[in-house]
Amino acid sequence: MLEVAAYKYPQAEQRIEAYAADKVFIPLSQHIGAPAKAVVKKGDALKLGQLIGQVSAKVSAAVHSSREGKVEDIKIFNHPTLAKAPAVVIRSTELKEEKTWEVRDLKENLERDSLVNIVKESGIVGMGGAGFPTHIKLLPPKNIDVLIINGAECEPYLSCDYRLMLEYTEELLRGVGVLVKILSCRKVFIAIEDNKKEAIRKINNKINTKDFGFRAKVKILKSSYPQGAEKQLIYNITKRIVPAGGLPFSVGVLVQNVATTFAIYEATYLGKPLFERIVTFAGSCLKEPKNLRLRVGTLISELFEKGILQFRKQPRKVIMGGPMMGVSLDCLDYPILKTTSGVLFMDEVDIDQRPEDVCIRCGRCVDNCPMNLMPLEFVRLVKKERWKDLDRFYVSDCIECGNCAYVCPAKIPLVNYIKIAKAKLKSLA
Amino acid sequence: MRLLVEISPHQKARYDTKYIMWQVVIALLPPSFAAIIFFKLLAVKLIAVCVLGTNLTEAAVLFFRRRPQRFWDGSATVTGLLLALILPPALPLSVAFLGSVVAILVGKQLFGGLGQNIFNPALVGRAFLIASFPTLLTSWTEPYTLDAVTSASPLALWKFNHVFTKLPHLFLGDIPGSLGETSALALIIGGLYLIGRKIADWRAPLGMLIGVSVLAGILSILNPQNGSILFHLFAGGIMLGAFFMVTDPVTSPATRKGRFIFGFLIGVMVMVIRKWGGLPEGVMYSILFMNAFVPLINRLTKEKAFGR
Repeated sequence: MLEVAAYKYPQAEQRIEAYAADKVFIPLSQHIGAPAKAVVKKGDALKLGQLIGQVSAKVSAAVHSSREGKVEDIKIFNHPTLAKAPAVVIRSTELKEEKTWEVRDLKENLERDSLVNIVKESGIVGMGGAGFPTHIKLLPPKNIDVLIINGAECEPYLSCDYRLMLEYTEELLRGVGVLVKILSCRKVFIAIEDNKKEAIRKINNKINTKDFGFRAKVKILKSSYPQGAEKQLIYNITKRIVPAGGLPFSVGVLVQNVATTFAIYEATYLGKPLFERIVTFAGSCLKEPKNLRLRVGTLISELFEKGILQFRKQPRKVIMGGPMMGVSLDCLDYPILKTTSGVLFMDEVDIDQRPEDVCIRCGRCVDNCPMNLMPLEFVRLVKKERWKDLDRFYVSDCIECGNCAYVCPAKIPLVNYIKIAKAKLKSLA
Repeated sequence: MRLLVEISPHQKARYDTKYIMWQVVIALLPPSFAAIIFFKLLAVKLIAVCVLGTNLTEAAVLFFRRRPQRFWDGSATVTGLLLALILPPALPLSVAFLGSVVAILVGKQLFGGLGQNIFNPALVGRAFLIASFPTLLTSWTEPYTLDAVTSASPLALWKFNHVFTKLPHLFLGDIPGSLGETSALALIIGGLYLIGRKIADWRAPLGMLIGVSVLAGILSILNPQNGSILFHLFAGGIMLGAFFMVTDPVTSPATRKGRFIFGFLIGVMVMVIRKWGGLPEGVMYSILFMNAFVPLINRLTKEKAFGR
């Protein structure tokens, strides 16, 4: 674990604002697993929240229209992690009122399976970044006794989860209630870093004054990185160790991000599928940082064209996600995905351009690796192309949190080397 | 809009290798000042010659290897300063210069330069000199007086004459000895700065001090003539070795456990040499010896991967 500069302000104080894009580019793959299969064609008129891509395999997730409008095209388009991927392009038909969803009572008789089915049909995936289809996590082959709601938000700059916890506290807790009902687990922890005092206070307040049908404990974590990484989070709270290559259910734990939990609330209480999310826009190049509730598929460029966001100065680097694990983009024509937590606009000063120097074997990368790996060995072995030896150092266990490269005094891009090693090992396997 | 595309992380720590090296130089200022107080101009000259020697050698080697110059990274300065501090104050400057050339040339550049060397370069320089000029390297100077008269170091007095130097003198440093090794106080100040600023890890120094203390403790119980724990901690090169030699990132283990074990074994070995060896002091040989085992220690103390 590592203390990194958090840079959460001023965006953490910005209220969530909603914006509905004119045109959305919705990729059919926004999750781990097979891309959704398109069920609409060019020219189709769409309602808000209408299914446009259906689950196509065991591990896959549905995709819904995020705008009332017309399918303009289905084409290969920019994708932040896949480079290019098929997307459904929808132009909104103005004037018409969009569909809205009313809160309805969760029917008492709703069974676990039908709740999971709602989650599946709503296209919910892990919104913390991984994008693993949630319905699969909710039907584990083993009993779950601990549920952890992940509100750590350990990545610097990001404040979308924090704002969600503040502004949708009750909805979030109802979502937790749905999860408890599905899993019938005994223990519920809501994990929040200690730099989010207001969120801790608010959630504590709510669970103490109102009955949500379950008992939960707010677990205050030290603000450090990567505190929100699944395996580390589970270990810190329960002292259970998820085995290498294993999933949390193997130790009886389920972790859900707060945004995902909120999506589960909306799906079950409102019947609303997942087609929008809160995204933090920050960085020194923006006139004003914001937390925006955006439709999935919104292009970053549209936000600037419409004046929702304004540049103070030209960015040198645009990052989708947080600065530790995010992806840098080559232009602004990229769509917001279900997994997009933030977009950062950095200038020359923010980004480290110091060239890669030689390793002095100081071991800082070893000391700060949350997986207890030896990153310096990865670099040495990749340079020598000793691919087989990389396995002995468990390079595949690396979660690419970026701590090693952050602390390296020689500015060695360790994650880069690790990605090369993983790709090579995969090709050899 | 031209955007930069790079692999994460996009945020990095502000310090770099250069910063770390110059921080070590800063941490070496207290013992350097102590040396100047005790040995006056001798100290200034010796430090200047060694720092000049290491930097010139490094520049020359990099020039002939057609590598970019890296004077400002400070690593040659650290080596030069460390070398000066472990040499006798009145050493002829030409000999000191030769030592600094060997330190960089043999100790560092022959292995491939920064990050590649197995042995601590400053200690390589001193080991070379002690083999070449044994008398000069064991001729000590009385502090303040700057008498060229040869006087014995506290450890030699203890080992050969069974005479104990008083602890306050060992602590403050107004005693004959290597230029920067005499004042335990100044070294502790510099060392704590280094550890406090997280430039150096505390495990190797602690391991070494414990190693010395354990064996010294046992020996002093068996026979008080063997010297107390504090005597052994404050006399000779323990403090400089613990804070500035075993903390050298390049020549110490990369694992936390490994660093402690490395330090501990050095501490034990120093006491073995002091007690049973032919020499009164053994810090240099112990560290150089253990440097050779660093790859092995790294392998044996490989961190247990999470979930494995």
